[in-house]
Amino acid sequence: MDKAALLVADLLAFIALDACTDEQFDQLALRLFAYQYESNAPFRSFCQRRGATLRNVRTWSDIPAVPIDAFKAMELRSAPASAGERVFMTSGTTGRAARGRHFHPQLAVYDLSMTRNFAQRFMRGDERLSMGILFPDEQAMPNSSLAHYLALAKSAFGTPDSRYYLTPEGLDMPGLCAALEESERSGRPYALLGASFSLVHVMDGLRAHNRSFRLPAGSRILDTGGYKGQSRELPLEDFYADLSQLLGVPRSHCINMYGMTELSTQFYDEGNATLPSVKSGPHWIRSRLVEPVTGRSVAPGERGILVHCDLANYNAVTTILTEDVGLWAEGGFLLLGRAEGAAAKGCSLAVEEFVKAAAA
Amino acid sequence: MTPQRITAGYLPGLGEDEVLWHSLSFAQGDRRLEVSVPVLSAAQMQALAQRVRTAAEQHLRPMPVAEIIDAIDRAIARLLDRDDSFRREAEAWLPVVSGYDADMVRLGMTGFFKTFRAAQLRRFVAEDFANPGVLDCFQPAPKGGAARAFGPDLLVHSWAGNVPALSLWSLVCGLLVKAPSIGKLASAEPLFAGWFARLLAEVHPPLADCLAVVWWSGAGGDSGLGAAGAAALYAQADTVLAYGGNASLDALRRRLPVTTRFLPHGHKLGFGLVGMQALDALKAPAVARLAAWDVMRYDQQGCYSPHVFYVERGAPVSPRAFADYLAAELANLQRRFARRPLELEEGAAVAKWQQSVEWRAPADGGEDVLIGPADAPWSVAYSDSLQPLAPTALYRTIAVVGVDTLDAVVPLVAAQREFLQTAGIAAAPETLYRLAGLLGAAGVTRISAMGSMSMPEAGWHHDGRFNLLDLVRMTEIEQSAEIAAQPFAPYAD
Repeated sequence: MDKAALLVADLLAFIALDACTDEQFDQLALRLFAYQYESNAPFRSFCQRRGATLRNVRTWSDIPAVPIDAFKAMELRSAPASAGERVFMTSGTTGRAARGRHFHPQLAVYDLSMTRNFAQRFMRGDERLSMGILFPDEQAMPNSSLAHYLALAKSAFGTPDSRYYLTPEGLDMPGLCAALEESERSGRPYALLGASFSLVHVMDGLRAHNRSFRLPAGSRILDTGGYKGQSRELPLEDFYADLSQLLGVPRSHCINMYGMTELSTQFYDEGNATLPSVKSGPHWIRSRLVEPVTGRSVAPGERGILVHCDLANYNAVTTILTEDVGLWAEGGFLLLGRAEGAAAKGCSLAVEEFVKAAAA
Repeated sequence: MTPQRITAGYLPGLGEDEVLWHSLSFAQGDRRLEVSVPVLSAAQMQALAQRVRTAAEQHLRPMPVAEIIDAIDRAIARLLDRDDSFRREAEAWLPVVSGYDADMVRLGMTGFFKTFRAAQLRRFVAEDFANPGVLDCFQPAPKGGAARAFGPDLLVHSWAGNVPALSLWSLVCGLLVKAPSIGKLASAEPLFAGWFARLLAEVHPPLADCLAVVWWSGAGGDSGLGAAGAAALYAQADTVLAYGGNASLDALRRRLPVTTRFLPHGHKLGFGLVGMQALDALKAPAVARLAAWDVMRYDQQGCYSPHVFYVERGAPVSPRAFADYLAAELANLQRRFARRPLELEEGAAVAKWQQSVEWRAPADGGEDVLIGPADAPWSVAYSDSLQPLAPTALYRTIAVVGVDTLDAVVPLVAAQREFLQTAGIAAAPETLYRLAGLLGAAGVTRISAMGSMSMPEAGWHHDGRFNLLDLVRMTEIEQSAEIAAQPFAPYAD
């Protein structure tokens, strides 16, 4: 077995564990760091500029965090390109900017990471649920990690009657309403999963037809990704209040998933009864909150930029610097939005306005 | 420590207990400040507009410009006096609201205020009016007849940004053309305009009611706190002077009646050019030192602040070496005038900019680097290949770009025409004039020396416009009227 295959095998075994110790996490993180440092030239030169070497990186938090912009600027990969690889790309919402790319030589690790975590955090012990997916399928969006994630949710955890309600012709409201009615009638719990903005469209559609549902106990909703300018901007409080009211699903069963194309593991909350909800991940991902310029961890109680060390990211880089603001909370972290709005305080042009003007 | 509280704004004719107050909080280190800003209802705003109009009609319009200049001069003299109570307040609290280094604010204020003394104000008026007398009464026109300039019926100022005391510019312009003025405070610097209005009332009491200073939330004020008052005021204004980003200026313009004169000043993108002649071993360090001052002042928040220095190759001091000099000077200046502490979002923007430079490096090869420690409170990004004119992350982040000739920069800056204003040039006189012609055609409106980019001279034409002429309308008595009046004179034969 070559080095990569051996790593993948060990990684799959690691994910299959129920938990791990700090030592176990560090050990695998450092093995992955060594592998990526040796086989990923752009990452190696990044580390060298940061003064990080195989000798002085001693624990996972020493691994230099790669900014997510780097996924746009270069190919961050350890294995060479191959015919069977999958490439997930960021949505590229910011005008002319290039899209970030995450190369997966195979999806075994991603899939196990997703299913192990999803089973625990969303399925909560249920084996299968009847699912409605509010997102295009993998054929329509082969480079979307979310499309793959939802397809996997449907195939691994959905009952045979589960289906997509977002077609090339748009949202199939009559079809979705029929499924919701059927669930109400039969008393079999239903799961609705999709992009946050698609759920806004569903709510708008229900309101337009004056419809609402009381889905049976055990029904649940998963939203992810925010609105991305694809629907009206709804404050989170209104979003969950409306979801709960229109579909009859308690807010404790409205779960938000926080994921990124640049990662292979997701974070979930325990419902959104109180906002902002606490997000947490499984034992193979760890996070830090850092001060962006120095990269040092922030003092307890202070906001910081989230850094994630995701061991399932074996081919790209384990440790990434996000643009998301977080705050530690009991059992995880609060996600406080993106670090933007750094608009000029004075009269000098700020990057944000410049980029918007260029995109217009 | 309980925070200090300051009541901001200036509301002639309105008691403090009659209006709603909103509190803005500021903190720097252990100093905390709560600033109460007034939020007016539509009816209160209308009454206020009426009051300043009437007062200006009585006291400001009949005042000769020379006397207005004298009154402003006395107010400015007090602002320059470090023992004066207004000056002491400004020195104490402007660093707290803006976060800028206290010494930087002190030096900046003195440098700024001294461009508003009587001599400079007279120059300011003379820049726009060949015969300043037209502001006082009808003056003979060269073509025949006579002409007089009238200021706005009601001038509304919408200030933005946290460059301390910036509101003085437009307030003085309004006074010189005898306009009743109501200004909207910037939430990031809600203090100076109200102080100036009070100070002016002290030095010349008849002016007490000719000026008011209010607040509402956001730039456009189309929703949120004080929106009704904002709408009432905008409906009454005949001239609106506004500062801010293009998006908020656009929103503001859309809500003004078509007959309202709108004078916008958007955010700008400054740059500098350093020619070969300035790059010998003796001159280059001095130019870099001046350039560093322009980067340091108000942490690059001014519309005139530089983002990129283009430096010519082929001289004894290479562009890369110039970047090193600049970095060394920024490190020195940090010891004298520390950069203000950054908020998380600002830090993230700086880090993002630094990282974009870092990632560009291997692709370009060559000498491209980020100079200085990554966590230094300044950073210089050097690029050996031609880079477009683009904003940096501000807060003393500056790009230096090596170029074969300065002429090669012209098309790059021309591409950002709508954001151009100030260019700093260090080059021999012939080059200066040749480049000025090219840059002017490209959209640049102000060319200064290095070190003066962030210190505009008295009477400069902000964004290439006529600060005073743009505010007035001319009333002309045509020759025909003069001639036709003659037969009606009692002494007519």
